[in-house]
Order: sequence, then structure tokens, then C-alpha cells
Amino acid sequence: MANQPYFEEVDPGDEFEESWLAETDHVAAYVDMNMGGAGAAAGRFTSQEGAESVGMRKPIVPGVMSMCILTRLVTDWMGPQGKLRTIDVDFRRPVEHGDQLRALGLITDTEEQDGAGVVKLDVYLENDRGERPLQGVAVVELPRQG
Amino acid sequence: MTTEQPVFEYDESIIGKEFELGSQEITRERIRRFCDVLGETNPLFTDDEAAAAGPYGSVIAPPGLVYSLQLGQGPDAKVKFGQATFHAGERAELHDVVRPGDTVTARQKVKEVFAKTGRSGTMVFVVRRTEFTNQDGVLVAAVEQSMVHREVNRG
Repeated sequence: MANQPYFEEVDPGDEFEESWLAETDHVAAYVDMNMGGAGAAAGRFTSQEGAESVGMRKPIVPGVMSMCILTRLVTDWMGPQGKLRTIDVDFRRPVEHGDQLRALGLITDTEEQDGAGVVKLDVYLENDRGERPLQGVAVVELPRQG
Repeated sequence: MTTEQPVFEYDESIIGKEFELGSQEITRERIRRFCDVLGETNPLFTDDEAAAAGPYGSVIAPPGLVYSLQLGQGPDAKVKFGQATFHAGERAELHDVVRPGDTVTARQKVKEVFAKTGRSGTMVFVVRRTEFTNQDGVLVAAVEQSMVHREVNRG
């Protein structure tokens, strides 16, 4: 089982990150798995023609799929005993097929709530053009030591 | 930000009405496929043996699998404003885990429709809330999705 961070071990300012390449095959598989009923509306996610039909230069990644990558960042970091309470994301720019992205997390606050160790994080995706297409906040409960 | 409200139309009677979107069994195979596509390597989601020794006693579904479920067409607020619609934000609350063999049911309502006018123009926001329950009626997750309608500057 993965490493387990404890509430007492983390501090505001701590950072962590993962990387993700928005591969066309993976986007197509995600759309097929989750958006099978979206029909032509899903074209902007899967084809150049579909993207251009709505004024985009390249096919894009569904917002919720990009949010899943930020969620993966948090669940990988929080260990098996961590609990993700909420994740709240704003979509600022499209993520395009082929984008190489960094998923980053920054601890902004730690607080004991009714005995639970609650950690607040800023999370965001950064592309190789220096843009942040997704930004958000996650709230996680970490186990206590002892 | 100004306080002047723009003129837009929508179906006010839809606010707060709940619609069942459908149900789906979350199979072990579906969890495996989701993990392959999203690059999940967390043993809680991918490794039956390791997960059996973990806090839940079995593999569980990644949170993203649950809030990615699109089980049907939701209620339409019939907003008449602007020429473009885009996805502005998403807020997920995770209440309980989903295990292989659980059946998840989604219910959705339009929570609110409101306008904002700022430097970049007027935008109309439609907020939908979807709640996911398991076969025992336990709330496992909820998602609030914000869609924005706006006018396109053709100048």
C-alpha cells in the first residue's frame, strides 16, 4: 500500500505534483465510457472537424476528465487512509489534445475539526504554454498519529 | 461589477424539480477500465490484494469515476441568452465509497439560474446539482456543475 501522510506531518506551503499527457486515445476512451449519449456534442472532444465546428483550433479534453486528473493527484497524495471531502474546480481555458500538463497541489491550511485532521489544498493544472486551464480547491481529511 | 441585471429568459418552473437520470452497476471491470484511461495507480483502486488489506476491505471506485457518470439528459432551464455556452466549474462532494457491484443512481435538479455583468460582458449561469446514491439509498457523492451562457463579441 502507498505511503501514508499523517495530519501532524503536513504544513501549509508543502507542495506536490504529478504529470499527465492528454493523449487522444485516452480522451476518446473516456468519452466513449462516460459520454456515449452525447452524440455530435462530443465531437469537439474527439475530432479535429468537431473542434473546428465550434470554433476551436484543436479537439479538447472534457472538463470533468481534466478534473479527474486533479482528483487523482490528491488521492495519490493523501494515501489509503485519507478521505477526499470536496474538490471544487474552475475551468479557465481548454485543455487540448497533446497537452503535456503538470498537476500541482499546495497545502494552504490545516485545521482540527471535531478531532479530524482537515487539510485544505490549492490544486491546478499547468500546461506547457505556462497557462493554468484548471484551478481549484480540495479539502481532505488525513489520519491522526497515535 | 455592476448591479444592473441583464434581460434574459428561462423556465423558472424547473428550479428545484428533481429528475432521475438513471442507474448503473459499477462493475470491477468498469473500475479497471477507468483506471487504465485515467492512469490511476493507487492500489485502493487497482490492486485487489492490497486493497483487501486496506481500510475498506476491497477495491473501491476512484472518486472521479462516480462524478464522471452521465446517466441521462438532465432538466433544461431553457435559457434564452447569448450564442455560446461553456462549462465554468464543477464542485464534487464525496460522502461515501463505491465498491464493485454497487448500483449508483443519479438524480438531478436545476439549483439556480442567475446573471452577472462584469468587464467582459454579461453571463448567465445555470447551476445543476446531481446527487448519486447507492442501492441502499446512501448518498455517495454530489456534484454541482456551473454552465455559462454568454454573448459572443462579433466586433
